[in-house]
Amino acid sequence: MNQQLIALTIIAFFLFRLAWQKKRNKIKKGEFIFWLFFWLISAIAILFIKKIDALVAGLGFSGSGIEVLLYIAVAILFYFIFRLRLRLSKIESDITKIVREIAINNQGKK
Amino acid sequence: MSELKVFCIIPAWNEGKNISRVVASVKPLVDAVVVVDDGSSDDTYDLANAHGVVVLRHATNRGQGAGLQTGNEYALLFDADIVVHFDADGQFLAEEIKDLVEPIKSGEADVVFGSRFMEKKSDIPFVKKYVIMPLARMVNNFLGISGMTDPQSGFRALSRRAIEKVLIEHDDMAHCSEILMKVFKNNFRVKEVPTTVIYEEFGQRFGGGIKIIKSIFIKKIIS
Repeated sequence: MNQQLIALTIIAFFLFRLAWQKKRNKIKKGEFIFWLFFWLISAIAILFIKKIDALVAGLGFSGSGIEVLLYIAVAILFYFIFRLRLRLSKIESDITKIVREIAINNQGKK
Repeated sequence: MSELKVFCIIPAWNEGKNISRVVASVKPLVDAVVVVDDGSSDDTYDLANAHGVVVLRHATNRGQGAGLQTGNEYALLFDADIVVHFDADGQFLAEEIKDLVEPIKSGEADVVFGSRFMEKKSDIPFVKKYVIMPLARMVNNFLGISGMTDPQSGFRALSRRAIEKVLIEHDDMAHCSEILMKVFKNNFRVKEVPTTVIYEEFGQRFGGGIKIIKSIFIKKIIS
């Protein structure tokens, strides 16, 4: 119960922070919706953790609900890192194109 | 046959120690020398410029592959017929440029690679010769490149037609494998000629080889 309260407090903090960022137009609408859903789903998962325990046990997992949620979170994080790596590669390639164009256009100038 | 214009592309990064000697040795043998200063922090740019050759300057370091592609694009803009890729560290011999260019001039090949593993003997470090190169050959075979004695040659000549098709997208050292892959994919006529390489430094190490494989993998996904 205490653990649930701590987790819900942390989520509440992030939700307030999200609302504050939205109010000051620091994040885009799409990003706001994504994080709002993310934290709300996290809160629901914590409120109904017993049901999730039963669900994962029913699916044949040996760990508790929270452990399975952690595994999923790690997998999602890896996916995001991979996406980031690809995006970085694309940016690197774009920088090269710009540097090249400047080099050719500036030939002979110092 | 009218004379074909030969451009020599020399990508250089912090090569102040060698660039003057290299440019001076290459300049009399080609129609144009294009040095691509890849964001050097030393006097590479000024030293190359003092020879009256074309010097393109990358505002920031982008890698050898990026330098070569910049040189290629410049060469295409200024009507080059043949482009030679040459290292700035002085490990290639300028007098061997004619051996690479000749098969293209005579219409025998579209792309000519210098090989360290044919008749001419290069003093290749042991680990490079017996560990890194066999592994590089295996990777090349996996990528569909076969029949090359030298899997990672940086000394090469390409016809204008080949330069137009073979766009170097790997900014880093993976460009060697990339060029080979694209040359084979486009069914260009390929020839290898023996060349000499003088090793003052080890060059590409095992870790570099791993980076090349990673780079090829990432590029395959995003392209």
